[in-house]
Amino acid sequence: MGKSRIRNNIRKLRFFHDEMTQQQLAEKVGVTRQTIIAMEQEKYSPSLELAFRIARVFDVPLEEVFSYDAEAESK
Amino acid sequence: MSFQEKNITVSLVNFILILGFYLIRVFQMIQGGSFNSTNVFRLWGIVIVFAIIVTIFATILTHIVSSIIQAIKTKEEPDIKDIQDERDKFIDLRGTKVTYFVSSIGIFLSMLTFALGQPPLVMFTLLIFFGVVAQIIGDISRLYLYRRGF
Repeated sequence: MGKSRIRNNIRKLRFFHDEMTQQQLAEKVGVTRQTIIAMEQEKYSPSLELAFRIARVFDVPLEEVFSYDAEAESK
Repeated sequence: MSFQEKNITVSLVNFILILGFYLIRVFQMIQGGSFNSTNVFRLWGIVIVFAIIVTIFATILTHIVSSIIQAIKTKEEPDIKDIQDERDKFIDLRGTKVTYFVSSIGIFLSMLTFALGQPPLVMFTLLIFFGVVAQIIGDISRLYLYRRGF
């Protein structure tokens, strides 16, 4: 399994939220740091519930955190 | 290495040791001419009891050793997080799927030996062998998924 088709801006959003660490974000959304790393590397697509929790932490709509790469689908 | 990975590694080492012990005992029995139902079923019992007890104690020991190492490293109260998040659950499910797949093949092959005219002892010996091998392959696939990310 390669990279997923779900793209995300988690790393960028963390940076713009007082350089929040992966551990801090992990604790806020209730997952392990390894899961945040896997998501940032786009190796793991989170469940809808976790995606909403991450968006709530950054106080942005879901689409600002996650997007679907339709081009990757056609490849 | 996360707590889950440590647990899987310990389980993997346990089952490799159990497999080694099992194979040595079976070969000893075959060479010594004591490959009979009493000895094979006793070995079955030993392997199953060993697998359960060792896995429980190894998990507890991993927890304690991890806490001690973390306390020495950070010089603070250890805070071992063994929460299982959704990714851990997915990895566990995929590992279980692999274990079941290998077990199914193993059960089929064991039954096949019986169907082809081998004595039931061969079937029972192979059943436990494939059971342990399936667990080992399942643990390897879990570790691989953790190393790769998912």
